[in-house]
Amino acid sequence: MEDYVIEMLHITKEFPGIIANDDITLQLKRGEIHALLGENGAGKSTLMSVLFGLYTPEKGVIKKDGKEVKINNPNDATDLGIGMVHQHFMLVDIFSVLDNIILGSEPSKFGFLTKAEARKKVMDLSNKYNLKVDPDALIEDITVGMQQRVEILKMLYRDNDILIFDEPTAVLTPQEIDELMKIMKDLAAEGKSILFITHKLNEIMEVADRCSILRKGKYIGTVDVANTTKEELSSMMVGRNVKFAVDKEEAKPTKEVLKVENVCVKSKIHSNDSVHNVSFNVRAGEIVCIAGIDGNGQTEFVGALTGLDDISSGKITLCGEDITKKSIRYKNTHGMSHIPEDRHKHGLVLDYTLEENMILQRYFEPAFQKGGIIKKKDMRAYSDRLTNAFDVRSGQGALSKVRSMSGGNQQKAIVAREMDREHELLIAVQPTRGLDVGAIEYIHKEIVKERDAGKAILLVSLELDEVMNLSDRILVMYEGEIVGEVDPKKTTLQELGLYMSGAKRDDRREAK
Amino acid sequence: MKKKLLSVLLVASMVATMFVGCGSSSDSASKDSASTEEGAADAATSDYRIAMITDSGDITDMSFNQTTYEAAKAFADKNGAEFQYYKPTEDSDDARIASFENAVTDGYNVIVVPGYLFANMIKEVAEDYPNVTIIALDCGEGDFGDYKLPENVCSFTYQEELAGYMAGFAAVKEGYTKLGFLGGMAVPAVIRYGYGFVQGCNDAAVELGNASDVQVNYVYGGQFFGDEAITAQMDTWYSNGTEVVFACGGGIYTSACEAAQKVDGKVIGVDSDQSGTISQQYGDDSLCVTSAMKGLAPTVDTTLTDLFAGNWSNYAGKIENLGIVSGDDPSLNYVQLPTETWSMEKFTVDDYKDLVSKLYDGSITVDNSTDKMPATEITVKEYDNIH
Amino acid sequence: MGQKESFFKRPAVQTLLASVLCAVLGIIIGFIILWFMNSEHAAEGMGAILTNFFKYRIASTKTLMKYMGSFLVNSVPVILCAEAILFAYKAGLFNIGAAGQYTVGIIASLYTSLALGWNWFFCLLAAIVAGGIWGLIAGIFKAYFNVNEVIAGIMLNWIGLYICNIILGGEACMNQSKSETYEITEVNPSGILPGFMQEFFGGNQYMTIAIPITVVVAIIILIVLNKTTFGYELKATGHNKEAAKYAGMNAKRNIMFTLLISGAIAGMAAGLLYLTGIQHYKIASSVPGMGFTGIAVAFLGGLNPIGTIFAGLFVEYITLGGQYLNTNYYNPQVADLMIAIIIYLCGFVLFFKTILNRPGKVKVNANAEPAKTTKKEV
Repeated sequence: MEDYVIEMLHITKEFPGIIANDDITLQLKRGEIHALLGENGAGKSTLMSVLFGLYTPEKGVIKKDGKEVKINNPNDATDLGIGMVHQHFMLVDIFSVLDNIILGSEPSKFGFLTKAEARKKVMDLSNKYNLKVDPDALIEDITVGMQQRVEILKMLYRDNDILIFDEPTAVLTPQEIDELMKIMKDLAAEGKSILFITHKLNEIMEVADRCSILRKGKYIGTVDVANTTKEELSSMMVGRNVKFAVDKEEAKPTKEVLKVENVCVKSKIHSNDSVHNVSFNVRAGEIVCIAGIDGNGQTEFVGALTGLDDISSGKITLCGEDITKKSIRYKNTHGMSHIPEDRHKHGLVLDYTLEENMILQRYFEPAFQKGGIIKKKDMRAYSDRLTNAFDVRSGQGALSKVRSMSGGNQQKAIVAREMDREHELLIAVQPTRGLDVGAIEYIHKEIVKERDAGKAILLVSLELDEVMNLSDRILVMYEGEIVGEVDPKKTTLQELGLYMSGAKRDDRREAK
Repeated sequence: MKKKLLSVLLVASMVATMFVGCGSSSDSASKDSASTEEGAADAATSDYRIAMITDSGDITDMSFNQTTYEAAKAFADKNGAEFQYYKPTEDSDDARIASFENAVTDGYNVIVVPGYLFANMIKEVAEDYPNVTIIALDCGEGDFGDYKLPENVCSFTYQEELAGYMAGFAAVKEGYTKLGFLGGMAVPAVIRYGYGFVQGCNDAAVELGNASDVQVNYVYGGQFFGDEAITAQMDTWYSNGTEVVFACGGGIYTSACEAAQKVDGKVIGVDSDQSGTISQQYGDDSLCVTSAMKGLAPTVDTTLTDLFAGNWSNYAGKIENLGIVSGDDPSLNYVQLPTETWSMEKFTVDDYKDLVSKLYDGSITVDNSTDKMPATEITVKEYDNIH
Repeated sequence: MGQKESFFKRPAVQTLLASVLCAVLGIIIGFIILWFMNSEHAAEGMGAILTNFFKYRIASTKTLMKYMGSFLVNSVPVILCAEAILFAYKAGLFNIGAAGQYTVGIIASLYTSLALGWNWFFCLLAAIVAGGIWGLIAGIFKAYFNVNEVIAGIMLNWIGLYICNIILGGEACMNQSKSETYEITEVNPSGILPGFMQEFFGGNQYMTIAIPITVVVAIIILIVLNKTTFGYELKATGHNKEAAKYAGMNAKRNIMFTLLISGAIAGMAAGLLYLTGIQHYKIASSVPGMGFTGIAVAFLGGLNPIGTIFAGLFVEYITLGGQYLNTNYYNPQVADLMIAIIIYLCGFVLFFKTILNRPGKVKVNANAEPAKTTKKEV
């Protein structure tokens, strides 16, 4: 008999209109790293919420060490030694690391905090797993990667031995991901059992022992990672074969669509420019990618380009017209489409319905309004056409509140909207952020289709795979400057990495 | 967790339904009682039921409303009549009419209304309810305009200028030279008090021969209750040497008293003998020098007594202007100073009686016009309304 | 898919339930208070408040209808102030300045009517314009100087109040011997709003077109918010300012427009009350409470223009109910206390909603087509 620390047997959880978990069985061995793989909306989060006592399943039992247990709320889960690192951290920004770790289980004697003991325990744990946290730093001052370690320490501090990681790498840089993988392995070696929720196949291949796959609320199977391939995993997850490489022909660039000359943007934080002297062009029929590590001025540059932020100097020309000082509305209606970096902040009005979001930049056009009254029928028809064409799925069709849709479908809705609008230039900022393989493949295909239809595409991405696969030209941005331009067919990941880390610099551009 | 909340909701809704049930039953109960009440009123018309409606203040205003309320209630208790007061929802004619009709619907047939604000209400309702007796206080001809009071209404006004005169006269004779007048709102009754006060101060100063030394500060608060702004103004007065302030208007005396206490100043009360109230409230027996009283309570008592005795015809349709009715016995008058709590030393009760008899026989006359400040030999410094 | 469950999941139903729950709870707490003050007469007292002016049904239908009319007339400003606040709130602005806009509405309507002798239509228009300008000032501060509209609103409330005291306190408008503004009926009969169904409402002279106008305004707000591009923009801005900016909407213009309209509605509220002649302005030392009550009413009405009408009527009904308490047992201010509690509970409408919403609170993964799951369930 296997030594299972947690078993979830035949779990079924229904929501109105949908069965989120349909007879799912998940068995976690002691000391293993068990990946839970599935597309967005496959039921991973629901299953974990059941384990964590946030939902009560209609059917099924949970066993801990072979004994049946009832988990009615997160406190029960904690008592059983189950801890979770959420995708969005549950930390108090203005508290120190130590305070955050002990928050909720403060050690006390006679009602007085005894922090010294807590500090010792935290430091011991930190050293043991090589987490390198500074207990006195404020959460708001440390990096996202560090914050995640604080979350891990929170679990360890509470002596949890079943650790759940909910898409932990989504917010991390490549280096941080590598370090996290190592930490996870160390934890498993110490006898902790880890459930690792993800849809990134590389990470599973690297770190997991076994992998259970869910698809559309159903249990597909569990495989030993050592005996499987990425392709097998992805086809189990998506239900068909997925191509990782993007099929595309040689770009045939024609006329210049976007021309950026010496653009500078003042930083909101320090006195230097956050974008300095950026110049390049994008021609119709090519995909130009701005690569770089997060925080090197990409966001600010896109802000200046689209008009969300102020530009301090420089000139932007779109289709031969100077649009430097034009309004966002003008740019929107004169050939610029923009898939924003943060779909919740900019891309969508989450409390609007899907159809209302579909006309976000077009509601004033005669096609959608007459005399100030919105033409609901036309809006509905348009929304239905787009959702069908781009396979955007939602609970109640055009009337679904976007907030209730999964991240992948939200992103698809934005992509659909931006691609359908009349445009010459598509600015796609991290268009596949947080999406699963199927959705990524789809969006990549659509972007290439756009290119082949003669549109100019400016891609801004942090994912090196995406950068290498999709683009025709790569510009590397480092500390607000373009430090190099490379051809993806002639370069290597290593060379790109050197540019991105500032170790290499194109003197040709420097001179310019 | 969910279940708990659900059960809470369930209980809440159960209570709610229970409550709706109970509400409707009490509803029908009140209907029954109301109709029986009405029946009773029909059966014995001699059974008077007394109600009072407050003006913009409340029955705890230590002044006008309170005096009327207490007098009417005392009478009702003494005579075993039912009594209730009504407070309009807001300071408007419409709300006052609503209160009136409310009282009448509850079966009350004698309505006592204090204050000039009720003139419009009376015009509106008096003829519609001929069986309801309305006793109005302080509604003068000026308030009614051309309106002729019907038989079921009578109104009383007072010669406040006499009361004010006596207070002013007494204060100056007592030796005060820096005086103040703090009126409530500039309504006729208050103005009469004020101008009377000024005239009294003036005449006393002329008699004493120190008219050039006597000064009266004169201001209206703009409301019938004290607040920080009024207290601040009073502070300024007292700290600049004002010795005594005639606080004339409902609850406004609190501002004068607060300020007076800080510098050992004095105040003069109004309408009723306020020395008891003030000494109790501020713990200082000597704070209140005297009060310019008008006989609200006796009026209410007398009128109700006559009404119950079947002598309503003495009052029907009249506006009576009450003042000094006896030169010998000041306590019979409708305007007076309180002799029972007399605290003044230089100006004695005998001096007071002498003054009353002079006012009675006409050797002293007091102008009752409210048009403009009376001409004086003393200095009168008028301030802008505080609010 | 349980039918019942989905019925209670509907946002509209939930809002309604939450509002009703909060009203009922307010009444229950009011009853408890009455019970503590005088347990013997608590049921009778509560009965009196709830029976309210319907007690006149035994006197005469005419009287009953007259007081029904007064009740409606008095509800108008509360409802409209709530509509003003609701409108701004939908655009993400908290127009606490409605009280001040209401106050300048009083100035404009009474001054034009009493001092200038204008016709009612222009007096009302003046009130609307004045309220609108007052709102616009806060809007300009917000749009161009990023001054929080709550701060600007509160400041403007007081400025409005003192200007009101100065202008209306003058000889032209105020009867100095009564310390209240003149009767419009006497000074300028053309300044009174035209009557509306006065005969039906027991000859209530204050029944004017204010009543239908209020309903029309509520409907217009409903339409503007839900059917027009302007409403679409406003709500988008309210929900997500950044997304509205991304979509190219003119945030500054919308902020100013929103507060302009919100202020105009509040100003209209004042005009529609004072131009009936039911109220006179008296020098006041605090800002009229109407604008603040409106906040609670808007929430009690579930932030729906039509729901707000009912919430306003309810609050006014309870307010009026206090005078029917037997003062031998209760202080009439109990009704004010109850209203205060209900208003306080209004803050809990959202809380109740959350409770009702609880099972569905966490986002539903709605990837599969609903049709399929229905089949499975069978």
